[in-house]
Amino acid sequence: MTRRISKGRQRVEMVKMKNASNLQVTFSKRRAGLFKKASELCTLCGAEIAIVVFSPGDKVFSFGHPNVDTLVERFLGRDLPPPNNDVHNQLIVAHREAGIRELNTKLMNLEEVLQMEKNHGESLQEIRRRANGQWWESPIEELNLFQLQHLKEALERLEQKVEKVAQQQKMVNNLAFPFHTLGSAWTPPTCARESSSYGLNVGAPFANRAIGSTSSVVPNY
Amino acid sequence: MTRKKVKLAFITNDSARKATFKKRKKGLMKKVSELSTLCGIEACAIIYSPYDTSPEVWPNTMGAQRVLAEFKRMPEMEQSKKMVNQESFIRQRIAKASEQLKKQSKENREKEMTEVMYQGLTGKGLQNLNLGDLNDLGWVIDQNLKEVYKRIEAVKKGASTSSSSSAAAAAAAASQAVAPPMEQKPAVVELGLDPMQRTQTEWFTDWMNSNTSDQHIGYGHADEMILPNFNDNHNANVWPNNFYP
Repeated sequence: MTRRISKGRQRVEMVKMKNASNLQVTFSKRRAGLFKKASELCTLCGAEIAIVVFSPGDKVFSFGHPNVDTLVERFLGRDLPPPNNDVHNQLIVAHREAGIRELNTKLMNLEEVLQMEKNHGESLQEIRRRANGQWWESPIEELNLFQLQHLKEALERLEQKVEKVAQQQKMVNNLAFPFHTLGSAWTPPTCARESSSYGLNVGAPFANRAIGSTSSVVPNY
Repeated sequence: MTRKKVKLAFITNDSARKATFKKRKKGLMKKVSELSTLCGIEACAIIYSPYDTSPEVWPNTMGAQRVLAEFKRMPEMEQSKKMVNQESFIRQRIAKASEQLKKQSKENREKEMTEVMYQGLTGKGLQNLNLGDLNDLGWVIDQNLKEVYKRIEAVKKGASTSSSSSAAAAAAAASQAVAPPMEQKPAVVELGLDPMQRTQTEWFTDWMNSNTSDQHIGYGHADEMILPNFNDNHNANVWPNNFYP
């Protein structure tokens, strides 16, 4: 499995792009980046900004703070000069700004966690790559029938073993197993997040570690 | 390029704020221009600041008016479909980041548990795993089993439909040929699942590893393989189907 490395920062010539699909991708990314920059400028400097862009597919995207329509009307001269700055208005603005601050914080934390998970994913990939695997770790396509049947039975045995160990634990803790609810029963409520629909305990990537479980799931190679 | 990460909050220092505004406004205008040129699309940007009563506009007042006129001409629904303010824009980004996190976490979890599964096949104990781990391990094993079943069926089908009926004959002969050696080892030969049978396991896995160079479909080396004598009281579908959609 080769690691996909993106091209990185490149100098781009300032002419209309030739490749249509690259153009579409560029539009999506740059439009999002543009709105992000505008959002930051609003927060950092208290500016009021409206941006309107038409997509290659003739759809229109717009960003506006506080909102597109009032700013457009104001610009086109169709309404009264800037709204009053009385106390009531200031309260509304302050409230809105506080909400935005909170959202920004939430977003930043989320992106941090995402980055950590991505890094974790890469280290897992490294481990797999470096591993001197047994024959059963090869892709299934490479196994002959006897190996396949052998592997099948070994897996079935392992599955039984898992079930057995789980039953033992279950008896200690009086829980139903396999789970008929999604996610780990060990996830404390504060860390609980929704799990994927595939039944994996993905709602709490760090929860197990947080509880101090002794699960050493990453093998030492 | 800044060296330090800027905190996303209103800059209280007046001169710092003004300086930042000037720089970033310039950068924003540049970005709009680039977007318009690179993608060949119409756009406009209007910036009102506390420093000026009249707004700063890209490309210019006339150009912006043109773009806005076209914008206003569109049906109300089309206008608002992709319209965002700061709040909704950030919410969108949060939603996207959450999705990515969910996906990445699931991938990582699957990878982790696959490693555990491989170790489990060599006989490493499952004692360190809690219920959540066991649950996910079971899921991964189940996924792998499904693929193995599928593959076995495909291979069998391929063997019966292929012109090499000699392969089938070879398989039959091979299973007979390996039967005698099997009797010398009455104990069940597992993939090292029982640590008590360590030496046997080591022999077996080493021996299996010597085959890694010939990992292709075929019955050619059937004479080297042993089909172990497992008990047949297993139940493949331990995990309820409603749990793994």
